[in-house]
Amino acid sequence: MANALILGISIASIFLVAAIGLTIIYGTAGVINMAHGEFIMLGAYATYAMQTYFGLPYFLCIPCAFVIVGAIGFVIEKLLIQYLYHRPLDTLLATWGVSLVLIQGTRLTFGSDPKYIQMPGFLSSNIELGGVSLAAFRIFVILAALALIALVWFVFYKTDFGIKVRAVTQNREMAAAFGINSKQVYSFTFAFGAGLAGVAGALFGVLNIVLPTMGTGYVVQAFLIVVTGGGALMGSAIASIATGEMQSIFAMLLNDSFARFLIFILIVVFLRFRPQGLISAGGSRR
Amino acid sequence: MSGDMIGGFLKIRNLRKSFGGNQVINDFSLDVTERRLQCLVGPNGAGKTTTIDLISGRQKPDSGHIWLRGDDITGLGEHEIARRGVGRKFQIPAVLKGLSVRENLEVAFSRETSALRNMFRLRAPGCDEKLAEVARTVRLTGRLDTEAGLLSHGETQWLEIGMVLMQDPEILLLDEPVAGMTENEIELTVEILNRLKKTHTIILVEHDMNFVRKIADIVTVLHMGALLAQGSLEDIEKDERVRAVYLGTEDAH
Amino acid sequence: MLDNPYHNKTLQWLAYAAVFLLIGIVPLLTDDDFLLNQLATYGVYGLLAVSISLCWGSGGILNLGQGIAFGLGAYGMAMTMQMQSQAPGTIPPFMANNALETLPIFWEPFWNTGLGIALALLVPTLFYLIFGGLMFVARVSGPFFAIMTLAILSALATVFVALQPYTNGVNGISPPTGLVIAGTKIDPYSSTAYWLVFALLLICTFTAKLLTQSRFGLVVRALKDDPERVRFLGYNVAVYETLVYALSGLMAAAAGASFAVLTQYVSPAQFEVGFSISAVIWAAIGGRGSLLWAMLGAFTVQGAQSYAGDAFLNTWILILGFSFILVVRFLPGGFAGLAELLLGRLASLRGGRREEFGQAPAKGAAK
Ligand SMILES: Nc1ncnc2c1ncn2[C@@H]1O[C@H](COP(=O)(O)OP(=O)(O)O)[C@@H](O)[C@H]1O
Ligand SMILES: [Mg+2]
Repeated sequence: MANALILGISIASIFLVAAIGLTIIYGTAGVINMAHGEFIMLGAYATYAMQTYFGLPYFLCIPCAFVIVGAIGFVIEKLLIQYLYHRPLDTLLATWGVSLVLIQGTRLTFGSDPKYIQMPGFLSSNIELGGVSLAAFRIFVILAALALIALVWFVFYKTDFGIKVRAVTQNREMAAAFGINSKQVYSFTFAFGAGLAGVAGALFGVLNIVLPTMGTGYVVQAFLIVVTGGGALMGSAIASIATGEMQSIFAMLLNDSFARFLIFILIVVFLRFRPQGLISAGGSRR
Repeated sequence: MSGDMIGGFLKIRNLRKSFGGNQVINDFSLDVTERRLQCLVGPNGAGKTTTIDLISGRQKPDSGHIWLRGDDITGLGEHEIARRGVGRKFQIPAVLKGLSVRENLEVAFSRETSALRNMFRLRAPGCDEKLAEVARTVRLTGRLDTEAGLLSHGETQWLEIGMVLMQDPEILLLDEPVAGMTENEIELTVEILNRLKKTHTIILVEHDMNFVRKIADIVTVLHMGALLAQGSLEDIEKDERVRAVYLGTEDAH
Repeated sequence: MLDNPYHNKTLQWLAYAAVFLLIGIVPLLTDDDFLLNQLATYGVYGLLAVSISLCWGSGGILNLGQGIAFGLGAYGMAMTMQMQSQAPGTIPPFMANNALETLPIFWEPFWNTGLGIALALLVPTLFYLIFGGLMFVARVSGPFFAIMTLAILSALATVFVALQPYTNGVNGISPPTGLVIAGTKIDPYSSTAYWLVFALLLICTFTAKLLTQSRFGLVVRALKDDPERVRFLGYNVAVYETLVYALSGLMAAAAGASFAVLTQYVSPAQFEVGFSISAVIWAAIGGRGSLLWAMLGAFTVQGAQSYAGDAFLNTWILILGFSFILVVRFLPGGFAGLAELLLGRLASLRGGRREEFGQAPAKGAAK
């Protein structure tokens, strides 16, 4: 049981890392970004490219992935998303189109064969934790999840940009009256969320092999976390821990697939009774 | 529980509702008599719309009860309350913008609400006659094929009144139906309402005392979510407390 | 303003009749059984697009998991066909390979062809009724509903893969012979199969069209606009939403069942997210608001895809992705929206000319 709990934390950290960028994009800008998984995939490829072509050490690749994917996100927001803010269903569809294009573009650029990211030697060992042997890299992901939460919290509550974002999400007109350019704020929020997905990609590229289609599995999972959490950062964190632990425990009792199925069913039932999610971010949802 | 219902068509007792600690409706009770037009007045934020919300099922009260013709309707769903003969017009006009005016009126003709039965029905019997009559009443006959989203503000108000008429409820809840209307349009509304109140029970929310004067049988003054005064318009206008509350805020405008 | 012929109900029915006449005479023009089979498959895709459009176009309910019903329908039909080829008392070979000794209980009804086909259609419909009911009563709608359908879809895919002994996992089920109904075998490569799919498509499309024009359809279109307002008119919105969703599920199940008949094969690929989204793409490019155009969208996209061929598949998906983005961004009505626009222009052009000739209709008569 203790094994399952510790493993659950590891799963939860992966869920959270995958969902954190989406939480920001959805929670503040209200955008249903179906290309989120592909942003993760791009983060992995960015890491791979930096490492292979420029010989950058892994730890430097992570911020690079953030910047590169963030920049891509910014461009996509400027070219497409910003015209669709008042049409949520169409945003969903258009971003799905974006994901198709990104997968295919990556395939044409890098080929469909798997790529591998090298991690620093000390992360490839195993660590004993409460009787469980856990890959050191999984511990690193747990720490990274905590660091990302701290980063997001800092950006949103301690920086000028964060104040603007919160002003715009709470009252657009009022924010405009104070001279805040809400369009610009949305663009940067989207880019920030995309960048975080890039970081997730840099991490997941090590856990799994890097493939053009590696992102598709993440988007549904990440959305369930965000919807269950209600679109708030804390909501996503709690939802990640809850589903991560459940996944681990159910998987121990049944198997991985049924655990997943059971959790999805439980989320449907949960949303039946609490459609606004755990912690409602308010505003963006009627 | 409904033994003392005689004469009361709609009966509200000890209604309370708060939004996150803000007590909006505070021990409010009201009796509405059949075939009367009862005006609900009060300063902004007094809780008039919330009262309408509670009657029509949009909000559930924290405590208290509402009876319609002796039946307890507290806490029922919106559609169940509507089926019992409660029609409602929203303060911010709510019409179906993507549908034509005709379709708006057709869908409001809701004698048959069963989804299964409506599947096998291309037209509702009696709808066309009623539609022609209502369209004439609200002066939209020439606009039937226009998309509702393209109507002017006054026309939109009319359309929503028309929808409530198509629904043919026993009691009409009208939340500021003449807001934004021109003088002429208001005159017409007065005509319709005076005709309508001979056959229907109406609760109407309004600020404008001149308008209230032309239509009201009874005036109820709501203040901070509680009943402040009730009676004929003359009584209300003489009432010192009402003056204090009402004139105080009227002046502020 | 003059009438846009696009909105003329008589003309609409005529257009439906014309299109169906065209696709109906195809078997009279060709003997190529492979082509007929391929075209029949497009018919199945067309039906799937119609089912999406019924729900999304009229009710605004975007369903990204239509593969749930399609896949369940296909599995039900494949199981029926499998059991038809099975001698009494035996079990399908893949089960034996997976160390099963007796037929699992939920396979038993498929011994009976009628019952099997009924299950192929009713199980998905029931699934939609329950899932839709849960969601719509909780007033989950719009993008959230879309995402939940996606979640259920991927959960179902995992389960079908995991239930290897009962479903043959990723390999799926490939019944050795075609479907036999009332003693006659339906050869998937024949005009019979084509007619069968054609009849199904015809019945479903016209039923759906009638449904959108019924009082039910009117309420559904109204709740797309503003569900809140519709409740206050006395309609139980959740019931309407659940029913239109379940009906679209029934159609998708029928499409899935026909698919299994045509291909004699079913696998968890039918539950893949990509496949369900393709169906949405067909409907979106054709025009979500029109059943007929959604169907034509499926024909066009799938036709172009097989025309592009496997060699260009990568480029094709890129093109598809871009066109999808462009359609959503600039032409939300799809081809149907374009047709509406052009016909409207044409009508006002003609009207304008008539006015020049001094035949302008009287003010009151103009609508
Ligand atoms: N859904 C709600 N959530 C929170 N507060 C609300 C809500 N609806 C109304 N209120 C508050 O209740 C008070 C009364 O509102 P309302 O009934 O609309 O007043 P009136 O119609 O008399 O102007 C106001 O202070 C308003 O802010
Ligand atoms: Mg009000």
